[in-house]
Amino acid sequence: MKPDVRLQLDARSAHQASVPCAVRVRGIRKIFDELEAIRDVSLDVANGEFISLLGPSGCGKSTLLMMIAGLEFPTSGEVTLADTPVTGPRRDVGVVFQNPVLLPWRSVLDNVLFPIELLRLPVEEYRARAMELLRMVKLQEFAGALPRQLSGGMRQRASICRALIHDPAILLMDEPFSALDAITRDDMAVELLRIWQATRKTVIFVTHSIREAAFLSDRVLTMGRRPATIVDEIHIDLPRPRNIAMTEEDSFNRYVRHLRKSIEASHEG
Amino acid sequence: MKDKQPSFLDAARWPIAFIVLLLLAWEGAVRYLGIRSIVLPPPSEIAVVMATRYDLLLTHLWPSLYLTIAGFALSVVGGILVAVLITYSDIMRRGLYPVIVVSQIIPKISIAPLFIVWFGTGTVSSLLLAFLIGFFPMTINSAMGFQSIDEEIHKMARTFMASRWQVFWKIRLPTALPHIFSGMKISVTLAIIGVIVSEFVASQEGIGYLIKLAGGLLDTPLMMAAIAVLSLSGLVLYWIIELAERRAIYWQSTAGSLAETGG
Repeated sequence: MKPDVRLQLDARSAHQASVPCAVRVRGIRKIFDELEAIRDVSLDVANGEFISLLGPSGCGKSTLLMMIAGLEFPTSGEVTLADTPVTGPRRDVGVVFQNPVLLPWRSVLDNVLFPIELLRLPVEEYRARAMELLRMVKLQEFAGALPRQLSGGMRQRASICRALIHDPAILLMDEPFSALDAITRDDMAVELLRIWQATRKTVIFVTHSIREAAFLSDRVLTMGRRPATIVDEIHIDLPRPRNIAMTEEDSFNRYVRHLRKSIEASHEG
Repeated sequence: MKDKQPSFLDAARWPIAFIVLLLLAWEGAVRYLGIRSIVLPPPSEIAVVMATRYDLLLTHLWPSLYLTIAGFALSVVGGILVAVLITYSDIMRRGLYPVIVVSQIIPKISIAPLFIVWFGTGTVSSLLLAFLIGFFPMTINSAMGFQSIDEEIHKMARTFMASRWQVFWKIRLPTALPHIFSGMKISVTLAIIGVIVSEFVASQEGIGYLIKLAGGLLDTPLMMAAIAVLSLSGLVLYWIIELAERRAIYWQSTAGSLAETGG
């Protein structure tokens, strides 16, 4: 039914054999009310790697991400983070959602510190780190402001700080820029790369934007719809640090064309 | 933060002007038409009664006010507690909640004589009626508030391993605050009704008793002075809650965005 453009897992593992594995997904299957949402998905993410899960809306890529976050559980298969199986939410993971989901009654700083409170860590000791993160995303002047006084992009930047405050090894991002306008979106992509460069987290980034995936990632996994499977995987060998001007170049656009084709292929038949 | 909120005086200017106009028209009509004060006393006469017989009015206002506040406080605490039960217990939500809603068909005022039979005339009956009448809006509003938690915020908190307790104190309760205050504003006015009705039925003191007494004596100016004092007290109670609401729900005022100035 579907063209088998998927690369062999073994070949890929061999490619990254030297780097320790941050995230390992093995034979994930998810069935919602007798409907197969995800079929046989396996993937490995190396420490410090930036990968994107690319696919059309509703293809199950967010569900996959939530399983890695420990908020959803596979019908069969296994997710392991740093060699321990995921049985629920855990400390070494930070999640950024599609919406900033800041608490409207808390200042930006207190929102960033919210996970510290929930994890029952000493809030005072993390205050300096929170300010450091806010400085990194140029929000230090807004530490005392309420979320509604910020623009959409600023709110999302604050929510990225919140996801990083407890210094997780893995950052999971669920279409974090899809609610923003196109210009802010480009800025945020550049900003995210800067943060990633500075913190070297392992990032799994879910998006339905081909260009965003190609611009940000070391590796893009394309997912097909119903049931979701990984239909393609490519390494993006563009130099880093990357800037927005690179998206005009042929080398970039070749990746974009390739990704578009594999998405289209997954729709046929 | 420089929140531009209309000040109380700004907002009250027109209603006050309207009331003054109405009082003037009333005064003029009564004098011009020569209406006897036993039927309708002019506002000036009511004001004179309020000024000269304030001792009597206050003596009867205190017990009523005290019972109103106590009954209201009970209905706030009780309403919130039951709302928490409804929110966290499936059995309570499915069993108790519909019963509470359906029980609203009983006009609670009609229970007042029953309370007199059970608890005698005086404090307990008035307190319970004020509580019972204010309890329902408190419960319904609080329950709605606790359940209006943003699912995405809940999900976010779960990724940080938030306990149920943390979710309640740090997310559900602040989310519910605006609903809780709406409930309080309704309940406080209802609590007054509860106390007054109970005093009508059987009591030796209270503003309700005074109104009934003045009515029996055909002392209309005193009756209306009592009603005025009662209304003013209700207004003050409502206003205190409104003030507390503005302080508590500071994040909902209508300030402009700071975003244009930076970032």
